[in-house]
Amino acid sequence: MTDFGLRRLKKPGRNGGIPLQFFIPTLLNSAPFKPRPSLPFSPSNHSVTVSRPFPLSHGTTTLGFIFQGGVIAAADSRASAGGLVACPAVHKITPIHSHLVVTSSGSGADCMLWERILAREIRLYQLRHRRCLSICGTAKLLSFMLHPFKGTDVCVALTLCGWDKEAGNTDCAKRSEDSSFITDDSSSAVVSRRDVTAMAHSASPNSGPKLIYVCSDGARLKGDIFSVGSGSPYAYGVLDRELRWSLSKEEAISLAREAVFRATHRDAYSGNKVDIFHITAQGWSQRKREDLKEEYYRDMERRVKIVEERKRVTKLDASG
Amino acid sequence: MSHGTTTLAFIFQGGVLAAADTRSSCSGLVACPAAQKILPVHSHLVGTTSGTSADCALWKRILARELRLYQLRHGRRLSTSGAAKLLSHMLHPFKGTELCVAATLCGWDGGEVDECHDHGGAKIDLSGRRETTKRQMADLGKSVDTSLEKAALAQSTSSTIVGQQCFTRKKVSFSGPSLYYVCSDGTRLQGTLFSVGSGSPYAYSILDQGVQWGLTVGEATSIAREAVYRATHRDAYSGNCVDIYHISSKGWTRRSREDLKEEYYREKERQERDGT
Repeated sequence: MTDFGLRRLKKPGRNGGIPLQFFIPTLLNSAPFKPRPSLPFSPSNHSVTVSRPFPLSHGTTTLGFIFQGGVIAAADSRASAGGLVACPAVHKITPIHSHLVVTSSGSGADCMLWERILAREIRLYQLRHRRCLSICGTAKLLSFMLHPFKGTDVCVALTLCGWDKEAGNTDCAKRSEDSSFITDDSSSAVVSRRDVTAMAHSASPNSGPKLIYVCSDGARLKGDIFSVGSGSPYAYGVLDRELRWSLSKEEAISLAREAVFRATHRDAYSGNKVDIFHITAQGWSQRKREDLKEEYYRDMERRVKIVEERKRVTKLDASG
Repeated sequence: MSHGTTTLAFIFQGGVLAAADTRSSCSGLVACPAAQKILPVHSHLVGTTSGTSADCALWKRILARELRLYQLRHGRRLSTSGAAKLLSHMLHPFKGTELCVAATLCGWDGGEVDECHDHGGAKIDLSGRRETTKRQMADLGKSVDTSLEKAALAQSTSSTIVGQQCFTRKKVSFSGPSLYYVCSDGTRLQGTLFSVGSGSPYAYSILDQGVQWGLTVGEATSIAREAVYRATHRDAYSGNCVDIYHISSKGWTRRSREDLKEEYYREKERQERDGT
C-alpha cells in the first residue's frame, strides 16, 4: 500500500516533476492479516466487537443524472436509525469543489468522514499540481482510499457528480471567490471552449459532465443515471420513464423532484425534504430546500384537476 | 415476501386490472420465460401469484375448488373478501414453514351480501336479493363517472340492503371491483393498488404517478404495461413478456401476451424521433 506513491511516478512532465502523493490509509497493523483488537481501524473479524446502541440502516434516496444542461443531483433529507428518524434535515449532497458535488448514502458518519478526507486530498492535489484532478481520477482515488476497509463495517456509497474541465485549465477554485491560478497560453483557448454550451451527446472523454458511483465494496461505475439507497428502485421507475437528453433545466429539476417524491412516498426510510443541485461548466448551484409535503398537496390538486377536466370533457361530449 | 417477479393490480372505474411479467427464475437461471403468473380462479376472480410458483399453483387450485364447492352448496359465488379470508385461513397452518405464497385476488363481486356466514339461522331469500342486486348494479352503472363518490355510494347502497334485513353488525359488504392481498405469513389487506415482487418498487412509482379512478380501460392497460416494462428493465428477475387481465362485471378478459422487447424498441424509436 505504501508503494502507491512511488509507482505512479511515471510521467514527471505531466505533473511538473512533483511525485503524486495521496493519503492511502493503511491498517495500523503492518502484517495485513493479523488482527489486533482495540484499534479503531482494525477489521471487524476479531474477538472484540463494539456493539451498536441501535441498528444502522441505509435508508435514503439519492439520485443523479446527466442531461444536455449538465448534471442534476438530488437527495432526500431524512436520516434514519432503525425505525427512528434520527434527523429530518440532513444534508446528503456535499460540494467538494466548485465543479464537483457528492451525494452520500450508507452510514451517515462514514460518509461525512470520507467526504472530508476526499475534499482534503483534492485540495492538496490542486495546490501541488496547479490543476484540478479529473472526476474519474477523484473516483479512482476515493476507491483506492476505501479499499483497505473492504470487509469491515464501513458503508459508504457515494455518487460523484461533476463537470470535468479541459486538461490544462487550472481554474478549479474551492469557492467561486478564489482567484484562479495563472496558467500557460493554452488556457485562453480552453476558456473560450468552455463557453460553448452545446455539447455532443457523447462528450469528449476528458471534459464535460460526469457521473461516477463509488462504494465501499469496491465498485466504481461511470454512467448517465444513478440512484442509490433504499428508495432508489422507486426513483428509477420515474427516471427511466421521463429522462431524455434534451430536457430543459426546469424539466430536469422537476423530474428529479418528482422522482425523490415518489420514492419518499413509498419508502419509509426516505422523506422530509429534497435538495437539488445543478452542475454546469460554470460550477454547481443549489436550489432552496423544498418540503415534499408541498409536492404531495400539489400532486393531489393536480389529480383533482384531471378529474374535473375529464368530467368537463364528458359533459361536452354528451351535450355536443 | 418478495421473490423474483413483478405483478400488479389496481382498481379503477372500469373494474380491476391485473398485470404480471412472465419470467420464472430459479437462483439466477431463467427457468421459464413464458410462465403464467395470473391464474383465473373463477369467472369473476383472478389471482396474481408471487413467491414459489409451485406453491402458488397448488393453492390457487385448492382455492378454486373450495370456491366451486361453496357455489354449489350455497347457490351463489363467494365474495372476493370471503375468498381472501378463506385463502388466508387455509394458509395459516403453514405459517413458519417454507411455504411462500403472496397473491393478490382481483375480482368483481356481484352484489352478494355476505351474511350467511354470520347469521346461521337467517332465511336466505334468493329472489329478493337478486332484485336488490340488480338495483345496486344499475346504481353503480350510473355512478361510474364520479370519482370519489363511488366507494361511498357502494357502501350506502349495501348498507340499505343490510338495513332491510335487520343486520346489526357495522360491517358493510362491498360490491363491484375488489382487490385483496393475501400472503402466507398471514397478511390480508384490502386496497386499491398493489404490486408484489422484486420488481414492485419500480412499478409502484409509475403506478403512483398515473393510477386514478377515472381512467379508461385503454389508459389503465397502458399504465399497467408501462409499469411492468419499467420493472423488467431494472429488475433482473423480471422480464420477457407481460400478461394483462381486465376484470369487469362481465368477468375477466385476457389480452394477448405482449413481448416487452417490442416496448423497448418502440421507446428507442420514440427517443430517436424526439432527437434524444
